[in-house]
Amino acid sequence: MSQPLVQIRGLKKSFGSLRVLDGVDLDVAKGEAVCVIGPSGSGKTTLLRCINLLEPYDDGSIKVDGVEVGYDDANGSRRRRSESALAPIRADIGMVFQLFNLFPHLTALENVMLGLTKVRGITKTEAKDRATHWLNRVGLSDKLQNLPSQLSGGQQQRVGIARAVAMGPKVLLLDEITSALDPELVGEVLSVVQGLARDGMTMIVVTHEMTFARDVGSRIVFMDEARVVIDGPSRDVLANASQNERLKSFLARIEMKH
Amino acid sequence: MTYHFNFAFVWRYADKLYWGLVLSLEIALISILIGMVIGLGLALAYTGGNRWVRTGIAAYVEFIRNVPLLLLVYLVFYGIPSAGGFAYDAKTSFIATLALYSGAYLVEVFRAGLDAIPKGLIDAGKAIGLTPWQRFVYVRMPTMFRIVLPSLSNVYVSLFKDTSLAYVIAVPELTYGANWIKTNTFRVIEVWIVVWPMYLVTCYALIYALRLLERRFSLVRR
Amino acid sequence: MIAYVMGVMPFLWQGLLVTLAVSGLVVASSLVTGVLCGIGLVYGRWWISWPIRIYSDILRGTPLIVLIFLIIYGLPLLGVDFGNYGSAVIALAAFKTAHVAEIARGAIQSIHFGQTDAGKAIGLTFRQRLQYVIMPQAVRRFLPPWINAVADAVKGSALVSLAGIVDLTLAVQQVIGRTYDPLPMYLLGAAMYFIINYSLSLTSRRLEARFAYIRE
Repeated sequence: MSQPLVQIRGLKKSFGSLRVLDGVDLDVAKGEAVCVIGPSGSGKTTLLRCINLLEPYDDGSIKVDGVEVGYDDANGSRRRRSESALAPIRADIGMVFQLFNLFPHLTALENVMLGLTKVRGITKTEAKDRATHWLNRVGLSDKLQNLPSQLSGGQQQRVGIARAVAMGPKVLLLDEITSALDPELVGEVLSVVQGLARDGMTMIVVTHEMTFARDVGSRIVFMDEARVVIDGPSRDVLANASQNERLKSFLARIEMKH
Repeated sequence: MTYHFNFAFVWRYADKLYWGLVLSLEIALISILIGMVIGLGLALAYTGGNRWVRTGIAAYVEFIRNVPLLLLVYLVFYGIPSAGGFAYDAKTSFIATLALYSGAYLVEVFRAGLDAIPKGLIDAGKAIGLTPWQRFVYVRMPTMFRIVLPSLSNVYVSLFKDTSLAYVIAVPELTYGANWIKTNTFRVIEVWIVVWPMYLVTCYALIYALRLLERRFSLVRR
Repeated sequence: MIAYVMGVMPFLWQGLLVTLAVSGLVVASSLVTGVLCGIGLVYGRWWISWPIRIYSDILRGTPLIVLIFLIIYGLPLLGVDFGNYGSAVIALAAFKTAHVAEIARGAIQSIHFGQTDAGKAIGLTFRQRLQYVIMPQAVRRFLPPWINAVADAVKGSALVSLAGIVDLTLAVQQVIGRTYDPLPMYLLGAAMYFIINYSLSLTSRRLEARFAYIRE
């Protein structure tokens, strides 16, 4: 049995006096799609941002494909990797953001091509082909030359997904990618992500969109107050939700909002 | 060649500097008060007026904002009296110039302030039955002034610095005093070693004092 | 009337050239120093950003004419003498540097932090992020306010007339000294400044509208 693709052990992080992650363990196998749910402030977004070291962490270990992402224990002491050493590691980890974060001065096509040419180092023609392929995959074949300001929220987010996936990452991190979208645009993004999961993309999805949790993931992780409370197959977790007080009240609050 | 510092000459004429500073502050104050009347009046005229009114006001604002202040000072002091056949003293002329100058910038400040009044406040005023005039006096004006207070502070400090140009028409403010001492004692460096910090300290004292005032009165706009 | 204006035009034209030369020098040098200071303010460690901030704050409390006098009389004391022209230009450039630095700082810092995140997430290095993500956006945010600063520099250049340099303002005064007819000449001078600065102002506004897509 090979190592899990993503292996998190004892992750701890505080913002000043506020403990945001209090000893989090998580394993994600290759090809798995895990959904992380929980109330705001439970630490789920911070967890995601630690994986590609957009946030530093105080203690614990995060390994992607066997490599400790953020820190280097080579000389016996734990030292944070420099920005230039982190860059190639981050290239193998894809991230899609809640606020899209598309580069506004570049067209959709150029947005996807930037990482391919500058980080993967492939030729412009090849990058263009690959970018076009992925933009077609997410259903934006007629929007290649559009600037982000000319796209709807759902379209922008799909470009964001294409940008991340075109890099050929080992694992995809999705940070509440539908929270900033109007409800009617959520579906188009959801189906793209479902397609990726079906094709075997390893992904960790932070969301409070319960349809995602039900339909995308094979596993659900429920976090509350900086810790993992429940971790199991989605069907079981949701079916037995009433047995856990915190999960029950969390789901009740979500249902009320919808 | 060494330079022998001699501050005694400067201290002898220190009152020129002190009263010069006071005059600078006074000129800036009178100018901004008149400027506020001009600015507010034109801002209201602009929002309520027709196309000709708006063009006229825009022309005034653009003219002032694109011409150097120094040239405006000369224009008002030397140019206008020659055409009109009358004369006024330097201080009045400079205050008029600075008032017109600040008025142009304040039109923009007040227009933005009026725009920034939350519509909900006006609706609330209507809802409790205030007449348009009452809404103007009791709702719009107080709110607008609190919103523009930071900008007004900035303009005042700017005007204080601009009074330094008054020396060219022999208004005895601070820079004039410095130049007078320089010409009559040849103590060039000592004078500026004293006068430069006077400007610095006064500016920052003003900024600090006005910030305290703001904290008490202004609204935080998101 | 026309003949009259034609007669004085050559003198005013000379003055205008001096104004443009002074403004050009000031704008060019303050662009370089100002942008560097702005970058230093954003990315520099405290021993870079604090001196720049203090420099900027001191200049903010100093009237421009006072600065010009300080440089003209003070520099020779330190052993260097650039003459009135050089000292005046240095004073104006020093003044503008602080302003440009502030514009540059604002342009860079107004870029949403998510842009840096997105750049990091696809594996760009710091240099690459600056080059392909941050700077292209910063330039578009920098240009409109900077063009306004250029107009300010042109207005500020009028103060060199007080140091004896025959720019447009002093040229106007010299002409008046001979013709004794102040108002038309001052208006003419004002019109010439106006044409330059108003064009700059329009350009700035047009660029601001064109780049609006950068600000989401």
